[in-house]
Amino acid sequence: MNMQWMTIYKKECLESARNYKWVWVPLVFILFCIMDPLTTYYLPQILESTGGLPEGAVFDIPTPPAANVFMMSISQINTLGVLVITLITMGTIAGERKSGVAELILVKPVSYTAYVTAKWAAHVTLVLLSIFVGLIASWYYVQLLFGDVSFMYALITAAFYSLYIILVISISLFMNTWTKIPGVVLFLTISIILVLNLITSIFSHLLEWSPTTITSHLPALLRSGEVGQDLWMAALITILLIISLLFGAIQTLKRREIV
Amino acid sequence: MIHLKNLTKTFGKENAVKNITFDLSQGKCVALLGPNGAGKTTTLKMIAGLMHPSSGQVELSSGGGDDIRKYIGYLPQHPQFHNWMTGKEFLQYVARLSRISKLESIKLAEELVERVGIADAKNRKISSYSGGMKQRLGIAQAMIHKPSVLLLDEPVSALDPIGRRDVLNLMEELKQEATLLYSTHILSDAEEASDEILLMHKGEIVESGSLQDVKERHQVDKVTLRLEGNVQPFKEKLETLPFVTHTDVQKQKIHVYVQNVTEARDVLLELVTKEQWPLLFFEVGQTTLEDLFMEVVNEHAMDDHL
Repeated sequence: MNMQWMTIYKKECLESARNYKWVWVPLVFILFCIMDPLTTYYLPQILESTGGLPEGAVFDIPTPPAANVFMMSISQINTLGVLVITLITMGTIAGERKSGVAELILVKPVSYTAYVTAKWAAHVTLVLLSIFVGLIASWYYVQLLFGDVSFMYALITAAFYSLYIILVISISLFMNTWTKIPGVVLFLTISIILVLNLITSIFSHLLEWSPTTITSHLPALLRSGEVGQDLWMAALITILLIISLLFGAIQTLKRREIV
Repeated sequence: MIHLKNLTKTFGKENAVKNITFDLSQGKCVALLGPNGAGKTTTLKMIAGLMHPSSGQVELSSGGGDDIRKYIGYLPQHPQFHNWMTGKEFLQYVARLSRISKLESIKLAEELVERVGIADAKNRKISSYSGGMKQRLGIAQAMIHKPSVLLLDEPVSALDPIGRRDVLNLMEELKQEATLLYSTHILSDAEEASDEILLMHKGEIVESGSLQDVKERHQVDKVTLRLEGNVQPFKEKLETLPFVTHTDVQKQKIHVYVQNVTEARDVLLELVTKEQWPLLFFEVGQTTLEDLFMEVVNEHAMDDHL
């Protein structure tokens, strides 16, 4: 089990290296994360140079607090980032089954648990690393252009946000075992996240600990560094969901016909 | 070794494999023979555990509840690899997945690329491999964990004559190490490499046994004549003879299946001389496996029409 797990994990990491995922995914996240701090700061200059304002008009754009700007980076990840994450994970099992490689791999005495969790871990490593690099870049620019944000608090915020991201990866992995078509995985994963968001906002009084509420707790966390009880519970629920999704993925794959 | 009991696989309403039962005994080389769509691939995939039977089961006598995959090596009809890996890397990867130590898997990979004849390309990306090289790599990956049963799905059908020769030789060697079950729709490949054949048609095993037995069981004496011009009138005349069971026309050739070969030869030659048939070719012989193959397939095809 252990040896197989490491073998698959290393193979996944090597694959990401060979198609340059270790380069472009962090770069993409850095781009997402610094976009808002930079455009917000340079907005007056941008408006001026494009000449969009009528002559004589005076616009007083207030500078937003530093913490808010950092949160803008997180909300970028929440939209564009989630899409990129799903794009890079949508074919990890589905693609192997579709092409037929899975036939050769799973006909060997490979544990399904190792196969699923090693792939999951490899993607979690890549994505979390990219998000951390991106958020550190964001923090740097926020610090430089807007004012002080505690680095420690930013790290804690990123750590809690990571849980939500891991959930996204787990949903995608789970969907990977249900269909052989990567495009369908993408569609299902994004749909589930949207529905989850929608349900949470409609039944907000009932679903106080839904995983999507994590993001709404983050601004307070970033300012005070204090983890509220609701956030702890939401984190716990998220972890439980991640575990059940992984378990579900393993069971589904076991019951599936590989070809 | 491996026992298949009443194995059935249904896709929707279609029975891909119907209630087949057979034993695969140790050290044998068995050819699973049949036309396209006979259910050969489905059978192999069920043995390999890639497909689940609709009913019936596959049992392995040596493994008591153990993971059957340990003992099985499988080569799909069109093997697919991680194309970004090199041939050697892929073999090492598969070896490591089969719980072989790192040092050992490096050694095995080196040995196997040599053995299947892709040593020159071992450090090249698999995406640059030709079809034949992929097939060889496929065989190498199937045998890397020294399985006791090797399942090969059409191992030689897609190869050029040289590749085919090499793979058949390799299979001859492999017979010493493992039980071989391979599917093919090419009769000469079955005749060449196997000890036993299983003839499948429409999901059923219609004939099985050692090659010699099967041949003997279906061997019929046959006289083949090739004539100029329209052969139809001669065919009709031949069918009236008492010792002729049936005839078969193939372009200019008439295959005459007979009961008493000595009598038939004399009578036919006499008839040819007396009536001055435009004879081009005359042969006395016996039916081959190919005739059997055609016969079985046709016989069953006929049943379907009725």
